[in-house]
Amino acid sequence: MTKKTELKRILVANRGEIALRIGRTAREMGMEWVAVHSDPDRASLHTRFADIAVSLGGATPAESYLDAGKIIAAAKASGAQAIHPGYGFLAENAKFAEAVVEAGLIWIGPPPKAIVDMGDKITSRQIMGAAGVPIVPGMAEPLADAAAAVAASKDVGYPICMKASAGGGGKGIRVVREPSELEPAFKQASAEAQAAFGDGRMYLERYVDEPRHIEIQVLFDQHGNGVHLGERECSIQRRHQKLLEEAPSPTIDRATRDAMGEAALQAARAVGYVGAGTVEFLYSKGEFFFLEMNTRLQVEHPITEMVTGIDLVREQLRIAAGEELGYDQSAIAMNGHAIEVRINAEDPKNKFLPSTGTVQNLRLPGGPWVRLDSALYNGLEVGLNYDPMLAKLIVWGADREQAMERMRRALAELNVGGVSTGAPAALRVLQEERFRAGDYDTHFLESLDLTEDFLGMADVAAIAAAIYRHHKSRRRALQPSAGRRDGWLARGRRQRTDYPLPPSIGGQA
Amino acid sequence: MKYFVDVDGTEHEVEVFERFGALEVRLDGEPVDFHYHEVNQHGQISLTVGDRSYGISIEGGTSKVAVTLAGQRYGVAIEDERERAAGLAAKARSGGGGPVKSVMPGVVVELLVAEGDAVTAGQPLLILEAMKMQNEIEAPSDGTVAGIHVEAGQAVGAGEKLVTLKGED
Repeated sequence: MTKKTELKRILVANRGEIALRIGRTAREMGMEWVAVHSDPDRASLHTRFADIAVSLGGATPAESYLDAGKIIAAAKASGAQAIHPGYGFLAENAKFAEAVVEAGLIWIGPPPKAIVDMGDKITSRQIMGAAGVPIVPGMAEPLADAAAAVAASKDVGYPICMKASAGGGGKGIRVVREPSELEPAFKQASAEAQAAFGDGRMYLERYVDEPRHIEIQVLFDQHGNGVHLGERECSIQRRHQKLLEEAPSPTIDRATRDAMGEAALQAARAVGYVGAGTVEFLYSKGEFFFLEMNTRLQVEHPITEMVTGIDLVREQLRIAAGEELGYDQSAIAMNGHAIEVRINAEDPKNKFLPSTGTVQNLRLPGGPWVRLDSALYNGLEVGLNYDPMLAKLIVWGADREQAMERMRRALAELNVGGVSTGAPAALRVLQEERFRAGDYDTHFLESLDLTEDFLGMADVAAIAAAIYRHHKSRRRALQPSAGRRDGWLARGRRQRTDYPLPPSIGGQA
Repeated sequence: MKYFVDVDGTEHEVEVFERFGALEVRLDGEPVDFHYHEVNQHGQISLTVGDRSYGISIEGGTSKVAVTLAGQRYGVAIEDERERAAGLAAKARSGGGGPVKSVMPGVVVELLVAEGDAVTAGQPLLILEAMKMQNEIEAPSDGTVAGIHVEAGQAVGAGEKLVTLKGED
């Protein structure tokens, strides 16, 4: 299992910016990369940038990027030695990972067993609990009476969240902050649940106040060596869709980072992890609890790369080839600050409704320490078949203040025409006092009114739009009508055809 | 030419007229000192107002455009005087009713109104699922539901009629 292989050609089983991002590192390492593409992606950037492009056919993900058989066949046919799944699609599909290995190919990812163990919330919680990784304190079994609840509350700790055993959709949930409130609250909630669901039993769980989503990047080689690369703060999200991430977290100090990093390594070791992975924690006021592990490369991995100087895809490829990490935890340091903004096709002024259209009038940011991982090009059709994430804008700064200002500057340079994107919402977040102070949680984005004109430049926009319209109407008025144009064209064609041709061309001889 | 320019719900009056071969502009009655230049045919615009310089991106047709400057994106609707008059007349005729169309392809999850129901502006008419998200489609104006063109579970394309409202007479 740990024999070394020289990788010369890999297949990237994905599309969009991540396919390109993986392919770029592969090429920098002297490898060739094979892109696979669906019919609508025939001309997309990842298809064009690859050394070899294999058509999977089909328009929907199920017919293309999710079709394990087609992808393995493409790898075989193109002579690829290994498959990198990227994120999404088949990245956390243990059956696919197994099929890749069975086909005699290298799977650039963790062992299938680790994917299975971490893929199920209940199983992973049990494994983590047994391994000593902190999980949200709570009861495995529902309780029927208030006395038992009071007894159990000491282990759970306050504030406590009570959930009806038979409840759902937010019904029968109560938050108790004081021990004195517990008994009456339990009786009341239990009676309600009895009336509503015919079952008065309640679960007790720690209520996580002002939760922050903080995750730790880990790397493990096949020889048992592992390191963590610090945290990423991902609390700027709505409906669990992240918008902006930063590293390091403004709220985590050195000691907490070390403790969370150690817990993440423990979590990974408990499932025999290999490769790059992310352990997600819920963090609140100095405490942290295991949420889940993502057994793949994350969307927001570049911010870790920017502060650690480590190319995570390079490490994934080296690990898959059987190489040793070659460094230990003491070699890892977080330098400066990085921020990522996801450029999604959505409308922040209209509840982040998806936006579709044809990308045009692109204006891309540049300048020092700005990185754009993008699948954008003029003419790209943004539909509903694929993930709405079109690009990621990443900046680095010597400190958080510089990184925030650099991101504002870069966002001000960006234009994605033809669709609307969430970028203005990120710009808004970056000028909020609470964000700048680092004082925010996972509810922060939803608390902002994103319809207001926060830059106060609506009058300039009105002037530009009116003059643009004025010129456009004038040009249109000067243009011939469709009927007249048809007449001219017909006459022109006739004249061209009637022109006496020399015999050699006219073919009269 | 006078234009009524609605920027994300706030209306401005912008007069654009030619004098001695040069354009002059008044914003809400005030003259504007500006220079406007279309950098290319695709919507990159250089605009200075006073001594401030703006690199602006514009996409759209004559009546609706998206204006992006300094990272902020403004949705702008523009009417000239003739269009405004025609629009007001049409609105008066229909009483604010008309078809409510789907802005994106999706699947109808649930209908929240029935034919004959009185609805108020902003009231959800149905839930449309698109891109794995459930979106409420709201009534654009007060009125009565005159017709429902879709049923729960049905897939609809962008621009397809969902519900027809009849305005108050």
